[in-house]
Amino acid sequence: MKYYEVEILDGKTREKLCFLDKVEPNATVAEIKNLFHKNHPQWYPARQSLRLDPKGKSLKDEDILQNLPVGTTATIYFRDLGAQISWVTVFLTEYAGPLLIYLLFYFRVPFIYGRKYDFTSSKYSVVHLACICHSFHYIKRLLETLFVHRFSHGTMPLRNIFKNCTYYWGFAAWMAYYINHPLYTPPAYGHEQVKLALILFLFCQVGNFSIHIALRNLRPAGSKTRKIPYPTKNPFTWLFLFISCPNYTYEVGSWIGFAIMTQCLPVALFSLVGFIQMTIWAKGKHRSYLKEFRDYPPLRSPIIPFLL
Amino acid sequence: MAASSSTSSSRRADNGLGGGGGQQQQQQTAGSRRRKGPGALATAYLVLYNVVMTAGWLVIAVGLVRAYIAKGSYHNLYYSIEKPLKFFQTGALLEILHCAIGIVPSSVVLTAFQVMSRVFLTWAVTHSVKEVQTEDSVLLFVVAWTVTEIIRYSFYTFSLLNHLPYLIKWARYTLFIVLYPMGVSGELLTIYAALPFVRQSGLYSISLPNKYNFSFDYYTFLILTMISYIPSKYITLLNPSTLEIQVYLKAIYNVCKSLCKIPT
Ligand SMILES: NC(=O)c1ccc[n+]([C@@H]2O[C@H](COP(=O)([O-])OP(=O)(O)OC[C@H]3O[C@@H](n4cnc5c(N)ncnc54)[C@H](OP(=O)(O)O)[C@@H]3O)[C@@H](O)[C@H]2O)c1
Repeated sequence: MKYYEVEILDGKTREKLCFLDKVEPNATVAEIKNLFHKNHPQWYPARQSLRLDPKGKSLKDEDILQNLPVGTTATIYFRDLGAQISWVTVFLTEYAGPLLIYLLFYFRVPFIYGRKYDFTSSKYSVVHLACICHSFHYIKRLLETLFVHRFSHGTMPLRNIFKNCTYYWGFAAWMAYYINHPLYTPPAYGHEQVKLALILFLFCQVGNFSIHIALRNLRPAGSKTRKIPYPTKNPFTWLFLFISCPNYTYEVGSWIGFAIMTQCLPVALFSLVGFIQMTIWAKGKHRSYLKEFRDYPPLRSPIIPFLL
Repeated sequence: MAASSSTSSSRRADNGLGGGGGQQQQQQTAGSRRRKGPGALATAYLVLYNVVMTAGWLVIAVGLVRAYIAKGSYHNLYYSIEKPLKFFQTGALLEILHCAIGIVPSSVVLTAFQVMSRVFLTWAVTHSVKEVQTEDSVLLFVVAWTVTEIIRYSFYTFSLLNHLPYLIKWARYTLFIVLYPMGVSGELLTIYAALPFVRQSGLYSISLPNKYNFSFDYYTFLILTMISYIPSKYITLLNPSTLEIQVYLKAIYNVCKSLCKIPT
């Protein structure tokens, strides 16, 4: 068997970081990362991005050395992705945060609305319903992250979590403050408005969940494959006929429902910001579907049928 | 960064304001736009815009000087240039549009922040709180803005025409040292002066209960605005990665070089 020599250079400075002689030809990139990690204990595998071209794409963990376009002496460039953080920590902080923060406002813990309101409860039923919906939404997300999603990456950069937490926690606190405020004004059209909003909210939650299940079923357990999602027997997934990311559409729908139910401006703003952000992501995903799959259904648009 | 976005993008799409793949792609498109540069029509328009803006701020400068001579005092000069100041400062909003449609290769967000903070000061503070119009701090930032803008817009005009006189380049990257702190202190002092009047009148404030379930306290907002001056101004001054600073340092270096008369 002929061994390979692998030389790992810093992607920015081109400084030589590590030289591995006698690497087996059928070694995977993941194995090379492990070898590199032994040399440089500070860069655990999830932190590493290895590329053949310093500006090119990262190699996948399951790529095999001898199938790469390299000679028997391979030069690989390393980029540090920064500290990584595991998913468990991410979703706990990101999603559990809004769940708990909202409840603090709901129970009117001291130092928020003034002494005489401490631990009182609102006289409007919509406030209680809103609390149930909000909690339901985040519990659903936590459970989905744990039991439904099959992510293709185990970690994410640490710095993302600060940004994401500021966003989710900040908005949750801002919305919860007004919805649970002693001076809260209930919806102008009363029960009708709340009922309609609740239907929209629940419909979108079920839709969102259906899409997540459909996406899960595209990917066999333990794999990282990416396929074209198609409508399934579940009618909620039929949106796939027209759009690439119906889970985002349903997510926005849920928040619009919540905004109508509570008739609260900050909720509407949260929906708007979420919509803009998800549109950007949906466009990115749509573009990569088009790039990856030649036979991608041409009728689809990213997030809103025929429009966006 | 590139790698981290490609790994985190689609899925971490989810989370928050994520700087995922989407953002990276945007930067790339902005980059390719930049390389092309504005077309002939856009250049003609930009020259026109910058000439008009230079002239506008010159009008303000002349107005200030004439009023000062006529009055023999620098108090209350604001009233003599109020209209052109409002007009041309508001006209700077077009700069955001220029960045947005790509004929000017700057960041839309940064430009928007800069322009909006001044438009805000012009309308939401100085115009809205009549009591501060007589403050000398208003003159402080008005003078700083006027000089800065005359230099900046003429800098753009000459650059677009590919004939940038050295004096203007030098002025843009050197006078900044004086004009910047002058402008900022004028702005901060003016906002500070407005605080008691805003509190008294409840200007622009919305209180609960209302049917939008939303409240807004302009007084607090102004205080937060003042606090936000610290990091942002500090970052613009000290972040050596901003292009502005690089050019600025280069210009200082050139000045030193020319002063030392290094023969080339
Ligand atoms: N309120 C808000 O601001 C907000 C914003 C964004 C998202 N969210 C919520 O969070 C949910 C999850 O967000 P997300 O950005 O992670 O959604 P996503 O990108 O659509 O992915 C959902 C899951 O499906 C997988 N997947 C996606 N496309 C696939 C394909 N073609 N083949 C196989 N697997 C595929 C993903 O794996 P990968 O790891 O490979 O991507 C991930 O595990 C959203 O649906 C939404 O409910 C809320």
